[in-house]
Amino acid sequence: MSNVLANQERLKIFGLLSPAYLWLTVAIFLPLSAMLYFSFLSDVPFGDAEWTYTANNYRAFFQTSTYATLLWKSLKLGLMVTCISLLVGFPCAYVLAKAIKGRSREALFLLVILPFWSNSLVRIFSWAIVLRGNGVLELGLNAILPFEVDVNLMFTTPAIVIGLVHSYLPYVILTSYLALQAIDDNLIDAARSMGANKLTILWRIILPLSLPGLLAGAVLIFVPVVGSFMEPRILGGRVGTYFGTVIEDQFVAVFNWPLGAALSFILLAVVLLILAVASPVLKRAQT
Amino acid sequence: MKKQFLMATTIAVFGTAAAADEIRVLNWQGYGTDLDWAVGAFAQASGHTVVHEYFNSEQEMLTKLRTNPGAYDVVLINAAFTPQAQEEGLIGPIDVTLIENLSDVPPDIAGNPDLNAGGALHGVPWTWGLTSFAVNTGEFDQTPDSIEVFWDKAHEGKVSIRDDALEAVQFAAIATGQDINNISDLDAVQAKLAELMPQIKTYWGSENDWNQFMAAGDLDVATFWSGSASRSMAAGLPVQFVVPKEGAIGWLDGLSIPTSSTKKEAAHQFIDWMIDPEFYVKWAADGAPASANAKAAAALPDEAFNKRILGDPEVVARVQFQRPVSEENRKKYLELWQGLKAAQ
Amino acid sequence: MSGRFLTLLGKTWLGLILFFLYAPIIVMAFMSFNASQYYQLPFEFSLKWYQDLAGNDEIIAAATRSVLIALVTTVIATILGTAASVALFRFEFRGKRFLQVMLFPPIAIPWLITGTAMLIFFFGVGLGRGTPSVIIGHVALALPYVIVVVSARLATFDATLEEAARSLGADAWTVTRRVTLPWISSGVIAGALFAFAVSFDQFVVSYFLSEPGDSTLPVLIYTSIRKGFTPEINAISTIIIVVSMAVMLFAARFSNFGGER
Repeated sequence: MSNVLANQERLKIFGLLSPAYLWLTVAIFLPLSAMLYFSFLSDVPFGDAEWTYTANNYRAFFQTSTYATLLWKSLKLGLMVTCISLLVGFPCAYVLAKAIKGRSREALFLLVILPFWSNSLVRIFSWAIVLRGNGVLELGLNAILPFEVDVNLMFTTPAIVIGLVHSYLPYVILTSYLALQAIDDNLIDAARSMGANKLTILWRIILPLSLPGLLAGAVLIFVPVVGSFMEPRILGGRVGTYFGTVIEDQFVAVFNWPLGAALSFILLAVVLLILAVASPVLKRAQT
Repeated sequence: MKKQFLMATTIAVFGTAAAADEIRVLNWQGYGTDLDWAVGAFAQASGHTVVHEYFNSEQEMLTKLRTNPGAYDVVLINAAFTPQAQEEGLIGPIDVTLIENLSDVPPDIAGNPDLNAGGALHGVPWTWGLTSFAVNTGEFDQTPDSIEVFWDKAHEGKVSIRDDALEAVQFAAIATGQDINNISDLDAVQAKLAELMPQIKTYWGSENDWNQFMAAGDLDVATFWSGSASRSMAAGLPVQFVVPKEGAIGWLDGLSIPTSSTKKEAAHQFIDWMIDPEFYVKWAADGAPASANAKAAAALPDEAFNKRILGDPEVVARVQFQRPVSEENRKKYLELWQGLKAAQ
Repeated sequence: MSGRFLTLLGKTWLGLILFFLYAPIIVMAFMSFNASQYYQLPFEFSLKWYQDLAGNDEIIAAATRSVLIALVTTVIATILGTAASVALFRFEFRGKRFLQVMLFPPIAIPWLITGTAMLIFFFGVGLGRGTPSVIIGHVALALPYVIVVVSARLATFDATLEEAARSLGADAWTVTRRVTLPWISSGVIAGALFAFAVSFDQFVVSYFLSEPGDSTLPVLIYTSIRKGFTPEINAISTIIIVVSMAVMLFAARFSNFGGER
């Protein structure tokens, strides 16, 4: 009997999971495996190009300090963008989930995602128009403020951070919102009636219960930001060289795919390592 | 009119070509071959339609040729890459008897050793131009004549060069008085570029970037391509192209036919139309690189950019034409450039 | 009093953030009405770019193709992703952790690399180029996002609700339909919106896998960047945003997702 049930359950799991994961296997895992294989070759085996097996592409990472420096710079950028997005986005999600009721909430929820139904390159260029000298920000501030200010953020690290926070903020707002919305208001009322103050409620009830959403949001931001290249390149100018831009160069400008692939897998390994180290710490915080 | 007649006879000679073909052209976006009126005129005269695909770097173009055999009939290749494409068997020899306009190309260009890789013409010389620089005329009372303007502290934070290792290294080679195709003192190049870095506001990546930066007043002086400069000037930007006394980088673009093309006759016809003076004069009015066809170049109005600047023999004497770069050097240049960028 | 004040403060904050999110969109729209080809200020009103757009079949065709591909991608990715999330949430089995970790590579590795890998692999297995290949690629890139977002919603699901329903005699299908799905619906919708955004902005896969002449809007924008794109791009983007906004707000008006809690 239990065997039958177990079999049925297995069948269900299989039926639900296999379409998605088969799809991912065909379109992502197998291609990436091919890429992993390439990263150990001296040249991409197209046509009659000659190639040999080599670990040189991975060794290249350690041969100069360039790559390590840039990876460290990218990790710092990822951390900064993630923290800012969490700090900015969580209160937003809270207001959306708890302070606004009814249809206007649904409308606002949609409005948060809508800006991303546009082309990222067009959005980044729009930021450039805002941030550059004599740009929208400077003109706007000078129209409001009684004194003249000189604002030219273009081609600076803050410009990169602004662009990236903008690109990834919706992730944290949405995942936090979904988690916050699930918290029963009665629970908060009960705590309040027992004399808990606002900070205690936030710290002991709201944060722990919404942690899964916050974490999902943080991962969705941190992971891609570390490998980002478009925002740094366009908004950062001279200071916009990061690990992601170097990988992009290898693929787009130089076509050294083996080296580009090796650098990407180093990036992936480092990111996964960070997440692995962070997850038990965060698990403990949750309980 | 005469042209259409010529084409009609060409078609009559090659009976098979009477069947309308669809030829696929691999080129940079917005680089002549995809002009609506030009493709339309070709379709009307020959019956062949033209479809485009674009690349964003020479390496990408080579990869596309390698991975998509049979997909392309005409491909634009910078002469510095033609030998590599020929050696890999990606492009085939041109049947010179099918390109009537070739007789108007000066022998020194048609005989270019890179285009004639493997002992036969593999790329029909189409256009050439310079990689030098342009200045924002609003920021200069007098147009500078030296490349040293890039290192002038007066323009600190108002300078830009393209984000390209080879171009950066060759640019610095010119500034340090070296042969761009045989750089003997790479350390001097590195030192010169390191000195340039603090001057730079941003790197540019495309003509579009360049125009926007200049229009926004972000830059005083930046490296640029001659064809693009003529387009920007035609569009009304306050810029002036400069070929400094130290010299400039020259390049030559050819049109080639992939070995795997199945529509070689139509491809030859299209190339012939592309080097035709009638096509070129109309194209140059909106900004184009210089034509390899002497008759086309001569047909330009006297005030035209390509005639005024690139037609001056004194200017041409200062140009160093790009030759193929070895894999090893390419790698060295890239490492140098990446190291400099990462240090910022 | 302080509660009211906090609420007001919160709403102001939300307003500010919405303004931040829309700032580049507003600029984008403004520039579509600005006469300068190089996005120069000061602003000078002109409808030139909309007129040009009307005559630019290439951009219109590309935009239509992008929307269609994004819609198909959204439907497939949302269904498959939701099913997978439910399985990952509901069942304990060996290898589950592994399956969850496997969602990270597609997010962590820049799309550029994934796209290149797809190109090589699809050619290797003879799938070749064309719209089906593009859709396969888009769905695969959108799936992890859908799964992560829906799972985030599911993580807050109270399993006792299902048990209660079952103890009242509901069969598994009814429980899923009446209890589980309504609960996760806001997560599913969020996932779908993301899937659309991922596909609609996807450049690399479309660039490598679409047939020449069949380009999507992002491909058109990226390839025209060398010569320069004109504010026509802003015009079409503005039209798309405005239409989507109208459709979405209309849908929100007549739906009830998110629940009335």
